[in-house]
Amino acid sequence: MQPASSLPLGQPRPAGSPSFVRAGFLGGNEFGLIVLIVVFATLFSLATKGFASPFNLFTLGRTMGIDILIGFSMMVVIVSGGLNLAVGAIGVCAVMAAGYAMETFGLPWPLGLAVCLLVGAALGAVNGEAIVRSGVHSFIITLATMSIFFGGMVFLTRAEAFRELPPAIAAFGKLRLMGFLSPLFLVAVATALVLGWLYRFTALGRRMLAAGASPRAAEVSGIRVDRTIVGCHILSGVLAALAGAMLTARHGAAIPSMAGHLGQDWLLPAFLAPVLGGTLLTGGKVSVLGTLLGAMLVSMLTNGLLLLRVGEFWVQAFLGLLLLTAVLLDLGRRRLLARHRIAV
Amino acid sequence: MQTMLGKAANTDWFGPLAVVIVAVVVIGAIEPTFLSAFNIQVLLSAIAVNLVIALAQMIIIAIGQMNLSVGAIGGLVAIAFAGMMEVWGVPAPLALVLALAIGLAGGLANGFIVAKTGISAFIITLASLSFFKGLNLGITEAQPFYGVPDAVKAFGNTNMLGPIPWLVLPAAIAGLGIWYLLAKLRIGRQILAVGGNPHAAELSGISIFQTTVWAHGLSGLLAALGGVMVVARLQIGQPSIGDDWLILSFAAPVIGGAVLAGGHVSVAGTALGVVVVAIITQSLVLFHIDPFVVQVVLGALILWAVGINRWREVRVERRLRGAS
Repeated sequence: MQPASSLPLGQPRPAGSPSFVRAGFLGGNEFGLIVLIVVFATLFSLATKGFASPFNLFTLGRTMGIDILIGFSMMVVIVSGGLNLAVGAIGVCAVMAAGYAMETFGLPWPLGLAVCLLVGAALGAVNGEAIVRSGVHSFIITLATMSIFFGGMVFLTRAEAFRELPPAIAAFGKLRLMGFLSPLFLVAVATALVLGWLYRFTALGRRMLAAGASPRAAEVSGIRVDRTIVGCHILSGVLAALAGAMLTARHGAAIPSMAGHLGQDWLLPAFLAPVLGGTLLTGGKVSVLGTLLGAMLVSMLTNGLLLLRVGEFWVQAFLGLLLLTAVLLDLGRRRLLARHRIAV
Repeated sequence: MQTMLGKAANTDWFGPLAVVIVAVVVIGAIEPTFLSAFNIQVLLSAIAVNLVIALAQMIIIAIGQMNLSVGAIGGLVAIAFAGMMEVWGVPAPLALVLALAIGLAGGLANGFIVAKTGISAFIITLASLSFFKGLNLGITEAQPFYGVPDAVKAFGNTNMLGPIPWLVLPAAIAGLGIWYLLAKLRIGRQILAVGGNPHAAELSGISIFQTTVWAHGLSGLLAALGGVMVVARLQIGQPSIGDDWLILSFAAPVIGGAVLAGGHVSVAGTALGVVVVAIITQSLVLFHIDPFVVQVVLGALILWAVGINRWREVRVERRLRGAS
């Protein structure tokens, strides 16, 4: 896709060389993100009155939980070397379907959640099948399906929200553990653990990484790359649906416009978190912890800037600059590492 | 005759042209108001604006990249154009020049960062999309500028000749200009060469850096022109201008046979792609079909077009293999 994709992005690190044990963690994205999170958390607690209050920590954790899930929904597709522009559209479609089922048929919330995740999986499967069968890049397929899913949803729902949901959903969104912890954040952490387990310890996860790193090599070594890519998109759909469900718990209603026009509002957080976290856009390398930390940093910066009264409109300009700075810093770090390796 | 038709059938513009002719005849027969002067004027206005937006994306597709910030640049330029005239009382021609300069600068910045760092244009333009949109909202606080001079309003809403609106003029100039650039000028040939095969282009002495920067600059300039035209048409500088350009900007070039990997685009095909989209949108309105169906149809059109392009590619490959 890119003329310059042949640049030194992510050669394998030579194992066993002692300088790379250090560079591996201290020079890695995860460590840098932890430092940034600590620095900014300290700055915000000193500079604003409300940042460290239990209520703000609660709302922050809630936002973080949702942003982390949105980041994961993109990450699992980036792993396979593709992308999914339709995450926002899928998330909204899934919760609207669940909202309809709960409001019209009076389904209890666990069944509603199941409907939500199933619809997410189904829409993800549509994406995956369309990409694999046509051989067209996932960018253009998901651009088209984002329009189709969202348009279809608005047409069917008449753009009206479902507000008569089981009270348990809104209660879950308002629940506070120990006065400051939102269970939505814990859902995100649990999802992170499952994904980490998937990529590290299961054959399926290893297949997804292999298919992203080199489809040909994966195919030759007996992996059905097509099926694996469809699997990645189904997983992406499920995670997007879960993010939508969490957003519904926060609002207490399923609202068609909660991810913006065509679900575009999710695109920036969806890419920010994995890119900040060091997931390669070309596929084959993933950092679940990095994505988690990346999403946490973004939500925290947004929250802190709003408390500093930067004005919510300027925050978006700032996030754009942040993404730019992050990729530039990452490039600089990789080049430094590459030079260092030559010197060693 | 057979071969001429066969040749025509293999061009990028043949499929969309056939669709346009059939659609105009069928819709015109069912609903005669479709061919009324007023409706033609509405159609042409929409086509003019959308053509400029589609060209802004097409030029980036030509070098094998994508520009997500076309709409954000257009929106920022739109509110800057209207804002300058309302708040500072800048005369319209000067405001136009400054507005186009902002778009050009935004595009050049995109191109410079992409070419300098080698990071995917997707990520860079996603970041700049957010930055430009944030600037737009920060400046306007989501409130439109209403003080657009009458001359500008008239340009966007009156006719040049018969049912042909003035807006067609800048669109035609942009279309012919880009066609000439890609077909005849050095920079245009270089853009296509880099899109077709960057390594080969570099080996034959083309500077990928300069080509990328210029292509993005041109894209920014066209996006800016689109923003200004929308302000003239809507008569206000609305902050939400450009929000819905993304799908459309890809749909028209792809329907027109553009290869997303780069190196092959068609101005005539893209123009016909814009016409197809405009006719479908307009006929849905005429037949009182829910406007949200337009989104579904647009998405389906993209899928249909990439399907056709793919099928043509496979056929060409098969023929080449058969010949050798």
